[in-house]
Amino acid sequence: MNLEHNSRVQLRHWVLAKNGKIRPEELDDHTPILEQRIITSLQVMDLILFLEQLTGKPIEVEMLQPGAFRSIETLYQHFCAAEAPNGYQH
Amino acid sequence: MHHHPLEATVERLCAVSQAKYANPYTAIDWPAQLDGDQWCMSPELISIFGTEAYMHLSAAEQRRLSFYEVVNFFSLNIHGERALVEGLARRLYRKGHRAISPYLHHFLDEENKHMTYFGGFCMRYAGKIYPDKKLAFPRTYAPGEEDLLFFIKILLFEKIVDAYNVHMSKDMQLVPLVRRINLLHHLDEARHLAFGHLLVQQIFQEYRQQWSDDTLHALRDYLSNYLVATWNEYFNPEVYRDAGLDDPYGLKEHAFQQPGARAHRREVTASCIRYLLATGILSEEPAL
Repeated sequence: MNLEHNSRVQLRHWVLAKNGKIRPEELDDHTPILEQRIITSLQVMDLILFLEQLTGKPIEVEMLQPGAFRSIETLYQHFCAAEAPNGYQH
Repeated sequence: MHHHPLEATVERLCAVSQAKYANPYTAIDWPAQLDGDQWCMSPELISIFGTEAYMHLSAAEQRRLSFYEVVNFFSLNIHGERALVEGLARRLYRKGHRAISPYLHHFLDEENKHMTYFGGFCMRYAGKIYPDKKLAFPRTYAPGEEDLLFFIKILLFEKIVDAYNVHMSKDMQLVPLVRRINLLHHLDEARHLAFGHLLVQQIFQEYRQQWSDDTLHALRDYLSNYLVATWNEYFNPEVYRDAGLDDPYGLKEHAFQQPGARAHRREVTASCIRYLLATGILSEEPAL
């Protein structure tokens, strides 16, 4: 399992566990998790801590845009991908 | 002539705030250094109190952890009060808020002073403030809902903080400076809470009939989640890392779920819940 796949799988597990109601087949990498209220705005704080744990890098919340939390894909691109080494949105 | 329902309260609270007007630059004597052998946070208020990880620490390590815990507590106060000051400033003299604006001036003044106490402590002795991890997302509101949520979130946040302030202002094993900051904060918060209780109730009664059941349901859901999220911030992995503890994220999860921690949250939040149920803002007790 490569690192990219592993990060996406872990993000997916986290989202499914936090919601606790949706079925795995209802969530893909592009599902809008905030817009569809799969994750609430109040759970984003928890998600930030999970991302810090996953990437081993602190996240500066003041640098972030809400778009970073749109889907598993945007989470991966903003926080986990090699071109986002600080976990910040530039 | 129309009288605002809070007019008499506003007048009374303004008179007290004027009488107790404080100079934040003379209210506290800042020692050059903190006595590292003393407690900075009451042990029973430390987030991981009662866990195995806590019990395995030496007495010196527990006191060191208590320092970072109080820095987190004061940091949370700064973040909460910063959002409060922003929101209060936006509401000054706004239509519908003119009658309460004289007290909003005191509220703003006192919150700004509190931030100088908390910021003064954190920057002097820790050289930092733990960063805020909350994000605000744009959304739409029913009439009155944004105001209600703003004031109710302040009220809940401040009631939890105040319980800690009261406890720590009386805990003689704490560094005197920490007791003093907690006491100063509590003395002002008592007025803010009195104002908040009445204002939240008044806004809810004024707008409730205009809201659909869906709006009320969503609001109740949000408030229950807000209480959980507020408590969540008291468990900060950065605190555990700074105190030299292993697996800070795992420890946070574990400590938050402990039966003792749940019982503590329920106890501290009990009066908030009673108020929310009595006013009809909540219809059932949230799971904390």
